[in-house]
Amino acid sequence: MNPSPLVLDGLIVGAMLFAIGLVGILARRNLIVMFLSAELMLQGVSVSLVAWSRHHGDWGGHVLVIFVLTVAACEAAIALVIVLQAFARTGRLDVAAWQSLRESNLPRVGDRELPANDDTVMEFPRLTPAGVEPAIDEDELLQREHV
Amino acid sequence: MFSLDPATLLVLVPALPLAGAILTVALGRLLGSKAHWPAVVSIAAAAAVAVTLLIGLGREVLGMVHDDHGSASAAPVESITTLWQWASVPDAYVPPADSPGIDLSAKAAGRPESLPFSIGIDLRLDPLTAVMLAVITCVGLLVAIYSIGYMHDDPGYPRFFALVAAFVFSMSMLVAASNFLLVYVFWEAVGACSYLLIGFWFRKPTAAAAAKKAFLVNRVGDFGLAVAVFLLWMTYGTLNFHDSLTSPVPGILGAERLADASGYVAGAVGTAICLLLLLAACGKSAQLPLHVWLPDAMEGPTPASALIHAATMVTAGVYLVARCAPLYVACPEALTVVSIVGATTAFVAALIGTVQNDLKRVLAYSTISQLGFMFASLGTGTLLGFTAAIFHLVTHAFFKALLFLGAGSVMHSMGGVIDMRRFGGLRSVMPITAATFLVGSLALAGVAPFAGFFSKDEILASLHARGWPDAHAEHHGSATHDSQAHLDLDASAGKPLWLVSDSRGGAVREAISDTAAAGTYRTLYWMSLFTAFLTAFYTFRAVFMTFTGPVRVPDEAGHHAHESPPVMTWPLVILAVAATVSGWLLFSTHALSNFLAATPSLACPAVAATATPHAFHIDLAIQGTLAAAMGIVLAALGYLGRRSDGPLMDRFLGPLETLFAHRFYVDEVYTALIVRPLEILAMLAAAFDRYVIDGLVSAVAGIPLAAGAAIRRLQSGLVQRYAVFGAIGTLAIVLALAWTLRP
Repeated sequence: MNPSPLVLDGLIVGAMLFAIGLVGILARRNLIVMFLSAELMLQGVSVSLVAWSRHHGDWGGHVLVIFVLTVAACEAAIALVIVLQAFARTGRLDVAAWQSLRESNLPRVGDRELPANDDTVMEFPRLTPAGVEPAIDEDELLQREHV
Repeated sequence: MFSLDPATLLVLVPALPLAGAILTVALGRLLGSKAHWPAVVSIAAAAAVAVTLLIGLGREVLGMVHDDHGSASAAPVESITTLWQWASVPDAYVPPADSPGIDLSAKAAGRPESLPFSIGIDLRLDPLTAVMLAVITCVGLLVAIYSIGYMHDDPGYPRFFALVAAFVFSMSMLVAASNFLLVYVFWEAVGACSYLLIGFWFRKPTAAAAAKKAFLVNRVGDFGLAVAVFLLWMTYGTLNFHDSLTSPVPGILGAERLADASGYVAGAVGTAICLLLLLAACGKSAQLPLHVWLPDAMEGPTPASALIHAATMVTAGVYLVARCAPLYVACPEALTVVSIVGATTAFVAALIGTVQNDLKRVLAYSTISQLGFMFASLGTGTLLGFTAAIFHLVTHAFFKALLFLGAGSVMHSMGGVIDMRRFGGLRSVMPITAATFLVGSLALAGVAPFAGFFSKDEILASLHARGWPDAHAEHHGSATHDSQAHLDLDASAGKPLWLVSDSRGGAVREAISDTAAAGTYRTLYWMSLFTAFLTAFYTFRAVFMTFTGPVRVPDEAGHHAHESPPVMTWPLVILAVAATVSGWLLFSTHALSNFLAATPSLACPAVAATATPHAFHIDLAIQGTLAAAMGIVLAALGYLGRRSDGPLMDRFLGPLETLFAHRFYVDEVYTALIVRPLEILAMLAAAFDRYVIDGLVSAVAGIPLAAGAAIRRLQSGLVQRYAVFGAIGTLAIVLALAWTLRP
């Protein structure tokens, strides 16, 4: 039995999603983006599941996808907590911040040289101040600094 | 007398010391300096029970003899108590068609094809066992009491009494056991007790080495016993001594087989069994060539030496051979070997004993020598020989325990010094010890009327009877004893009457009339007579060196140099009385030999046929006494009084003195031939283990290490890299799957 074009389409979309997610995971260093890419891969698989399920004419694949969605929701919550905790540890979302977990006698993998910062201070035109300067809430100031 | 069932009483003899040993172990620390009570009380109770049994059985047997004027003396008496069934294997043995002792009528009546292997915890009571039990428990009791004084304030005080009680238990089980497997078990158990007591002061390197040596040398003998037991099982299909309802095969020493002249295999297998049993006996009883452990065993506490290495355990070999008498009389060659080994050991050990300066070693060699006498007597294969050996065993147990305890008393007051050259003239320092030691020495030297005289006379008589059968036949033919039931007047002319009297006499009867064997026994007789002279010499050399001459006390003695406390001297006095009267009592009434003749092993026709009327051989007695007197006179010439501290005699021996002092270089030969090659082998094995086996193991252990070192470099800490490897791996799996699942 030849697969119907619809199935093929579904499989192609699924494979594309999977491939995009894989590239995202391999190429990006931001924890949240990596997590999103993983979700993308998962959904790619789900799409192909639905496609095959439709092709075979039973509801097993659909049901499985519903379950996958549910589990993915839970997993997303847990993953985000992990990301938050990782951020609280290092103050950075960069996954390379964790490479200190390597084998102790291996050299550190450094980033490529970043272009030098442009130190020229831009002068912006300023308006003449008017009115009363509003009192700034100290708590809010603290939060801003933190973000 | 038997208000209680004898079977119950018999079980009590080993059970009480076992309970005592367990109690001592459990409560030893709690009791402290009173730790001797459980052992002493339990052994005393066991001794009372054993003596009760002996008297009860003695009355029964001797009453029977008196009723029938000796003709019933051959009726075997035994009673078996089965405590429980230890092992039971159905269909273990298919008897060969010519299996000895299984009569054809029973086979025709539908005997099962295969027979069960069943080992019961069977205790037996017969005259031999009763005598052994009484000796073991009585000497054990006296030694235990003596040890209260000797071992006081020793840190291992409770341990010592626990071991002594355990030894009395094991030894009484050994002589009461009624199958060969149990005998083997308790043969090992007494060996273990001996090992632990020799190494009692295990911090002392010489004691530890001596214990190890005793254990290893005994291994050789135990190997013989194990193989003998295997052979017995293969040959007879049972290991029981007695006929048993649970086993269709008649027991090896049971009534059915004993009554049957063809009940025992002769030839190569029979001789092999006998010689292996003899090897076992040589190990335990320190006979040539396995005698080397006993002198070293003197490193143990002196009471242990007295109990185990003089009076009881070392006589286990004599007991074993006497117990297996029917097996031996079926194999006359093996009997001759027993005699030759015994007489040679007696002679060699006596020669070595003449130049020893260590009092305990003199006694140790004397023990080996006296055990040799017993074996020489056993090897004659006559009823007289077997009973004489047991008679000597009993008297020897008394006087040798006395001598050892006396030596211990000397050692105790001399602060542990036992070299006879360093003390002298102690008769005024410790009069009781000196007097009792003198009694023991007179008994050992064989001076009338002390115990050793009578038993040694019987042994010489048994050897003489084999060496000069014609002379004895005339002697006994003219005797008017009507107790000789085997005198048949219709025997063929030209042969001694008593020898051809009974058609069931079998092999021994032929061997007795064999002139070649007679020549051997003549040699052995003269050798034994010379040994008797040597015995008297070395014994009195020790007495004179220790107790006569000017008083000399070593510095180590300190304030100890006085008579030992009463708890030590009373056992000496009791043993001295026993050593004085036991010989005369047992000899004059013939109680012991008549009693022992009712032992099933000795009541079998082949042995009973050799019975001779009891007689006092005045010619032999004169020869024996002359030998003893010459020995004592020679010792007096060399060592009495002022000469007691000078090695005057040793000079006359010249190079022989060196030979004797080095114990014929037996230890050196064993070291060169056995110990050194084994040590080299052990070194090779150790090197092989260290470098080859360990190297292999290390190499195997290196594989994961090396692999880990290689793979460790992948642990870069970069999550993306892990993800790449994961993706590549998954891809590889998918591709492999696609490859395998390709259409």
